[in-house]
Amino acid sequence: MRAEFKHSLRRARGQIIGWGLGAFLYGVLMVSFYSSVESIGAELNTLMESFPPEMLAFFPGFDDFTSPVGYLGTEYFSFMPIILGIFAVTAGARLLVSDEEKGILDLLMAYPISRSSMFWGRFSAFLVTSMGILLAAWAGLMLPSQSSGLGLTAIELLRPSLPLFGVMIFFGSFGLMLSMLLPAGRTSGAFAGALLIANFLLIGLSSLNENLVPLYEISPFYFYQGSRAINALDWDSLAILLAGSSLFTGVALIRFLRRDLRVGGEGGWQFSLPGFLKRGEAPAEVGAD
Amino acid sequence: MDESFAIKTRGLIKNYGSVRALRGVDLEVSRGEVFGFLGPNGAGKTTAIRCMLDLIRPQGGLIRILGFNPQEDPVRVREKVGYVPGELSLESNLKVKSQLRYYNDLRGNKAEWDYVRQLAERLELDLSRSIKNLSKGNKQKIGVVQALMSKPELLLMDEPTSGLDPLMQQEVYRLLREASAKGATVFFSSHIINEVEALADRVAIIREGVIVEEAEPSKLVSMAMRRFHVRFKESVDLDPLSRLEGVTLLGRSNGMEAMLNVEGEMDFLIKALAAFPVSDIEIERTSLEEIFLAYYAEDKEEAKKNAS
Repeated sequence: MRAEFKHSLRRARGQIIGWGLGAFLYGVLMVSFYSSVESIGAELNTLMESFPPEMLAFFPGFDDFTSPVGYLGTEYFSFMPIILGIFAVTAGARLLVSDEEKGILDLLMAYPISRSSMFWGRFSAFLVTSMGILLAAWAGLMLPSQSSGLGLTAIELLRPSLPLFGVMIFFGSFGLMLSMLLPAGRTSGAFAGALLIANFLLIGLSSLNENLVPLYEISPFYFYQGSRAINALDWDSLAILLAGSSLFTGVALIRFLRRDLRVGGEGGWQFSLPGFLKRGEAPAEVGAD
Repeated sequence: MDESFAIKTRGLIKNYGSVRALRGVDLEVSRGEVFGFLGPNGAGKTTAIRCMLDLIRPQGGLIRILGFNPQEDPVRVREKVGYVPGELSLESNLKVKSQLRYYNDLRGNKAEWDYVRQLAERLELDLSRSIKNLSKGNKQKIGVVQALMSKPELLLMDEPTSGLDPLMQQEVYRLLREASAKGATVFFSSHIINEVEALADRVAIIREGVIVEEAEPSKLVSMAMRRFHVRFKESVDLDPLSRLEGVTLLGRSNGMEAMLNVEGEMDFLIKALAAFPVSDIEIERTSLEEIFLAYYAEDKEEAKKNAS
């Protein structure tokens, strides 16, 4: 498992640098703007009161925009779960299936490594990669914090990273589970990504339509604290997110342990196109060789 | 635990949905043997090899690899096996050396790096090159090196010389013979009759998921027909040639040329041709695919007889 973990982490260097740098710069930018927001606080609050509730519904913390918690909630922590969620869904869905579909896993699994070691080696690399990105994001918030007048401590800024980590792991493991259950990796990534975006939209829509509230209350973003975690962490919500992740990871592991490894698109979706859409290609042969 | 065989399968069954890939494969490969596994595309060669490594799970039957059941002890089996897949895929963003180091890490750094260098030199594989810039043949060399580098007890190789030029094919044959001489068992699938003839102690032919023949390669080679293209100095009567046992006259050109198919020994044809004014002879050996087709034809004839 150690060899696979090391290798997977090495492969994820680009992701850590790319996503980490992006998250870092986004944090620096948002925190640096805070001093100017604070200085025009009264005018801004008046302006915001004029905004329609449909718009305000999508930005938690808008009613308290000039406080550090409200500002970060609106400008930073409301977007971060969707930004990092996209990373997590993609990384989770590709964790094993991408190499499997390319045929790379066929040779790797002929080495003396058990399927569970392969699974945990890669999954732990995914966890560490996610932590690395969050660490960069936290550094982006912390560095300009004092100079911008935000006045939050390193610990206060670190606390919301935990619910963010919970969301990342939740969606990452969901993508991973789908990739193990569905016959095509791309489909699982797209499906998990669509659910992520739908859940994000549900935050605002449920404020506008109370019929959607029960649905929102069982969705992962309901258990995401956002900037409220700066003051106090809701461990129960975090535990629910992690429990969901554990369930998805468990299902993915069981499926990976039990099923055949595929090569060259074996087991892919078998759509039968109408005749006029076919371009005269030979029918796909099921490989038994 | 039966350890006398390197590979033993009994009634191995593997289905992909409604496709019956293996329909009861029985194989016994002794330790130290070089065994050729032959069959047309889709016959079940790769499926059988992948079952042996627990990459896929059979629905029925028994497999023992070096005495171990790969479904129960996959890691112990893989510790002793070097594998070349039929369609080799590598991480294109790595250099050859990094890819081989990663494989070696997965095996607990069992391979000696000096030996890896030796293998690479013999196959003219540049370890410092990026995989994405390599040709198919050079990638295949990585497949061969990674399989051999830990000096495994059993080599499972699915078309190991695919994409290699003839010189490199010969070098791979030498490496496999050397491994065999040191006690390793070599189990390889192939489409190339010369490869089978050069390497295998014994061969099995698989067709539609069933072993249809197990034989010495010499028997297989003798089963392979030869095609004679004979040119004569003057027009001759070809009837005496066409009446020879095992000889089929495929074509003639005004008695000046003849195309003959010869099955089995060719001594009698050579002697018969000595009585003719021959100006030139070209002899072509039929391919393994044609032998497979011959098996199909025999089976179809049997099926017709049974039906009638």
